[in-house]
Order: sequence, then structure tokens, then C-alpha cells
Amino acid sequence: MRKIFVAGLVSLLPTGAFAQEADTAPSIDLPEAEVSKVMTAAVDGFIRPGYDAFQASAEKMAGAMKTLCEAPSRASYEAARTAFRNGIVSWAHIEVMRVGPIIEQNRFERILFYPDRKSTGLKQVQSILSKADETATDPATLGTKSVAMQGFGALEYVLAGTGSEELLKEKNSFRCRYGAAVAGNIANVAKEISDIWDAPDGIQKAWEQPGADNPDFRNGGEAITALLGILVHGAEAVRDQRIETFYKGADKAKFPKQGLFWRSENTWVSIKGNLEGLSSLLDKSGMIALLEEKDRPVVAATQAKLKSMIELTGKITPDLEKAVEDAGERQKLDTLLADGKDVIAKLNDGYGGAIGLSSGFSFADGD
Amino acid sequence: MAWRGETIDRRGFLKAAGIGFTAALSPSSLMALERADAVYASGFRAPDGSFGIATVSERGEIIDRVALPARAHGMAYSLATGRAVAFARRPGTFAMIFDPSRQAEPIVITSPESRHFYGHGHFSPDGRWLYASENDFDGNRGMIGIYDAREKFRRIGEFDAHGIGTHDMTVSDDGNLLIIANGGIETHPDFGRTKLNLDHMEPSLVLLDAKTGALVQRHRLPSSLKQLSTRHLDIADAGRIWFACQWEGARNTLPPLAGWFQKGEDLSFVSLPEETTVRLGNYVGAIAVNRREGLVGLTSPVGGAAVTLDARTGAVVKEETVRDAAGVGAAAHGIAVSSYEGRFNETRSKVAWDQHIVRLGNLSR
Repeated sequence: MRKIFVAGLVSLLPTGAFAQEADTAPSIDLPEAEVSKVMTAAVDGFIRPGYDAFQASAEKMAGAMKTLCEAPSRASYEAARTAFRNGIVSWAHIEVMRVGPIIEQNRFERILFYPDRKSTGLKQVQSILSKADETATDPATLGTKSVAMQGFGALEYVLAGTGSEELLKEKNSFRCRYGAAVAGNIANVAKEISDIWDAPDGIQKAWEQPGADNPDFRNGGEAITALLGILVHGAEAVRDQRIETFYKGADKAKFPKQGLFWRSENTWVSIKGNLEGLSSLLDKSGMIALLEEKDRPVVAATQAKLKSMIELTGKITPDLEKAVEDAGERQKLDTLLADGKDVIAKLNDGYGGAIGLSSGFSFADGD
Repeated sequence: MAWRGETIDRRGFLKAAGIGFTAALSPSSLMALERADAVYASGFRAPDGSFGIATVSERGEIIDRVALPARAHGMAYSLATGRAVAFARRPGTFAMIFDPSRQAEPIVITSPESRHFYGHGHFSPDGRWLYASENDFDGNRGMIGIYDAREKFRRIGEFDAHGIGTHDMTVSDDGNLLIIANGGIETHPDFGRTKLNLDHMEPSLVLLDAKTGALVQRHRLPSSLKQLSTRHLDIADAGRIWFACQWEGARNTLPPLAGWFQKGEDLSFVSLPEETTVRLGNYVGAIAVNRREGLVGLTSPVGGAAVTLDARTGAVVKEETVRDAAGVGAAAHGIAVSSYEGRFNETRSKVAWDQHIVRLGNLSR
């Protein structure tokens, strides 16, 4: 047996044709053509349109900030806040994609730095504003600074944090130009990620055509497991990172100011967007086609639960302090937590079990 | 001493367990124990979604179960004290020390503020100390927590693991070295199990002085292997430390997946046949050494495979297709293998076995 020593001799070899010859026993054995169809639908029907829409929305957000800086007024301020809100929505739809190039090179954190229990972002943004650091007013140079001062959290503070009234008083104020740079930086990252997914021979091809020489998925089972993982982890993130961050139950400590976008009262806008994104991916990918007829009701049941959660997010007060204090509002939060758990179980055990993951999705990830 | 890769025989286990244990068993469990040549323990998920630890015969029959509040991952056993420990799966915060013979009440410990368990740990040879791999998540560094068995496993200190994403760890036979696999992957409980730095991982294998925590040796991987997460360990004869890896890079490459080193030596990777690497799916989920027979077992749930190597040369001795292959442990003959589907050696039970197996005792060499 040949030993390869670390000191310079280890090499990584392409797999080549033999990869298909090995007697592997992946957990999932699905028709490759059907898997390819589902992956193509996920890429072309959800992922690429999602990133394209986010790019368009981020560019509008940058434009609205520029207008606000050049012509501050109540109307331009409200337009900027609306563009910010629309940016949150389009990001929330595609944010459920926590795999691939978005999690490389800190792209995700540059768009959204959260959770931030130590308020690192707030401290850094306040520092920039107090020092009027001009290098933070150019999206290109801002993009090289701490990720905590580059994304939606920073822009929220500019638009809705202490001192935001300055935006209406002074033309091209430092605060506004910094906010415009943040929006521009988000648009830059959005364009970068959109371009990566739109390149015909890049990741979209790898996702659509799993195979032995594929850098992402060596077979259909790996691809579908990853697609299901987006849904499971996305649902977990809504429940664990977005709701439980500030509310874990009536008898537990509550932290309304830890909620994402509490300051601009866009918490439920963001959560609703996430849930819509999950529902859209489940629908647009046509994942149901991979299930036997008897197992297909789990998809409709999941969609029904997601729909119910989406509707409920519109009925909870956007004021998180009131939401956690009022018994009636807390009941809605409890329902969201319970329904979120149910969605995770349906995807994890229901869909996962139906495609052949013997113990559900989450159980089978080794570690 | 108590090491993975060593087993207790049936008579020894019954003697250690005592009458109280056997009297509490169901007839089928008692029959399983009476037929058993050795026992293991492994975490499981029951059909109702609950979690626990089961003791298991050599044949794979379930002998007894202990309920757990959440999912466990790695385990360790001390032959000196008869205690076993099950660590919560990352980013869990509990570990349960229990007596497989049920002669003592379980002790549950929790990780301190700003730490969580990484799912693995080991006892010192005399059973006095329990070492646990932990995450200092705000400092983004792996730590080894130290717990005192004489004080109900009170946490009395910690050592820097000199790496991030610390996963498996073990202790040298003489108790002088802590052997640590730093997987190199950054995680934070705020982000669940999400891997936060796959594009800039820092895997390493580390030896610490068990008394002082001083760094004795650290092996970083070359840049071409930065995405090779060094995650699991076991010890063979003569101080040879076997390690197993999981590749986080492109799927169409063939990285080395296992190797060995020992104090004062460089890392040596086993050059597995290409089809074996493919069969393992670039991912080894568990490793165990059978010292008596000089074998190393590897399993891969990703590829659905169990592979046995010669512990001296690294040559492949046996390859087996095992769908959802999970844990490995030294068997009386060869390597025991479990699966998520409920297979444990020749028995299939209505549980999903978790990723690791521990032997409850030593195998006569």
C-alpha cells in the first residue's frame, strides 16, 4: 500500500469514469432524469429568478437612497424606506438559500449580519456616523470594511435609528451618503451572486446535472438531499434564528430588541418573505414528482401549514415589545413556533423519509 | 484502562453489572445478554422520535436503554470506574455520565456559559478525569473541558485545543497526552449547525500535555487539503493514532480520507484505492481500531460503505456495502458496524442507530 506523506506529495485527483463503477449504496435511489428535472426547475424557477429579483430590488434601493441624499424630503425619505422594505422582501425570499456561493467570501454576512447578540453592527455603525468616516461612503471601499457595517442592519439604522431625522434636513449629509453606500454595496454583492448563478457553465449546470464528475453532486441523491436541506434549514432558521431569538415562550426571557429589523418594524415582513421563499421553492422545484402517490399529501400538508404561518405573520403587531408583552399576541407567536416545528417535521421526516432517508433528513448528516 | 477498540467479555460485564441489572431486564434482553460475548453502547433515535442510549450485544441485540433529553453523539467508557458518558450532539450543552449496569444514578453535566459540547470526549485511564471537546463560540476556538469524577464531574478547568471546530478527542494509553482532531470548521450556536467557513477552513491534529495543557505537537494540513476536515480518532498499538476525515471541497476530487501519526512523527495519509475513496463518498463518519486483530474500521453514511484496513499497513482488508452506515467498533472478530436503518452487526432493530459506537470494556489482546 502506497503511503502519501503530507510534506508535498498529497494530490487531489479527478474522479473520472471509475466513479460510476464503484458499488456505492447512497441512502437515496431516485431516477436521475427526474432528479435533474427537479434540480433544473429549482435553479431556473426559484434560485436564479430569486437572485435576479434581489439584484433588481437592491439597485432600486440604492437609487432611492441616492435620490434621498440629493433631494431630501418627506416623500423621498418614505420612498427610500419603501425601497428598503422591498429589498428586505426580495432578500428574504432567496435568503433561504444558505448553500453555494452565497456563503462563500462572506457574501451572506455582507448582505445581512445577523444574529448580532453583542450589537457589533450597531456599535460599528454608530462609530462610523460619529467619526464621519468618508471611506465608508463609497460602496467599493465600504465592501472592504467589517461585514457588520455593510448590509441591511446598517441601512436600517441609517433610515430608522437614532438621528435618522437628519436625513430630511441636510442635502448629501454624511449619514445619507453612508446609507447610499450600504445600499450600493448590497447591490454589488447581489449582482455578483446573480452573475455567478447566471453563468451557463457554472454552478447552475452543476446543480442541474448531478454526475460522477460534478463538483457539487455526484449523484441525484446528493442533489435532492441538498435541496431538501435548503428547505429544512430554512424552516429551522425562521423558527430558531428569527423568532426564538426574541421569543421562546411565555415563561421564558424575552428580547424584543434582538429581533431582526425591530427598529424599522419590518420583522414580520422579513419572516413572511422567508416563509414565502420556502413555499415557492417547494412549489417551483416540483419536488412532489419524486414521491410515490401515497406519499404526496405531505407536500400539500406542508404548503398548507406554510400558508397558515404566512397569514399569521400579517396579524401580529410589528412592534415587538408589544408582541411579547400582550397575551393575545404571544398566543400568535406560540402558534408560529408550533407550526414552524410542524413544518420542519413534515419536511425532515415526511418528505425525507418518503424519498428514502431512513431516519429523516437531519438525522442522517453524520458529523 | 478503557479505550474504544477494547471489549469486555460477557462474564465480566455480568459481574460488573450485578444482580440488580439482570433482574430488571426483559426475558428477551436477558437472553440477548446471556448469549452476548461483548457489549457496546450507541445512541439511537426511537420510532417515536425520542432519543436514548442502548447497550447492545455482540450480535447487535438491544440489551437495555437509557433515555436522553436530546440527541447524543459520541461516547466514552471507563473500565476503571465502569462509567460511560454520552455527549450531546453539537451544538448541544449536556453530557450524561451513566453506569451501563444501572448501579448508580446518572449524572448530567452542562457546558458553561459561552461554551457548547462538540459531541466527543474521553476519560483519563484511571477514570478520574473526563475531558470534553467544547466550542468557545465567541472566541471561535476549540477547548478541552476538564471534569472531575470525584466531584460529580464538576468542571475544574479547560485547555486550549489550538484549533477551531474541535471534534473528536482521545487520551494516550499512559494518560499523558490529549489527542485532538480539530475539524477546522467554524460554527456558532446562533447559526445552528451551519458551517460558517467552508472556504477558509483550518483543520489540524493536535497533541497536548494532559497535565498542563501545553502544546506538544500540531499538524496543520497543506493548502491543497485545507477543506479536509480531520474529525475522528482512535488509537492502535504502539501509540499509533489513526484519524479519519471528511472532505468539504469539490465532489469530483479524491482526497485522502484516513491516516495515522504518533508523537514526534509527521502525518501519513493512507492512499486508498480510488474506488474505495469513491465508495466512501469522500466522507468517513466514524473510525475504530481493533487492536487485537490489528484492524481499522471506517464507515460512511454518505457512500453507504464500511471499509476495514490493516492497522499496520493501511491496506484494505474488506469492503462492505452498508446502506446508511453509521458507527464502528472493535468486535470479537473484525469490526462491528451499525446503520441509521437499525442494523447492528447481524441484528436489525426498530431504532435508528446514531453515528458512534463505544465498547463497554476491554478486549483481551
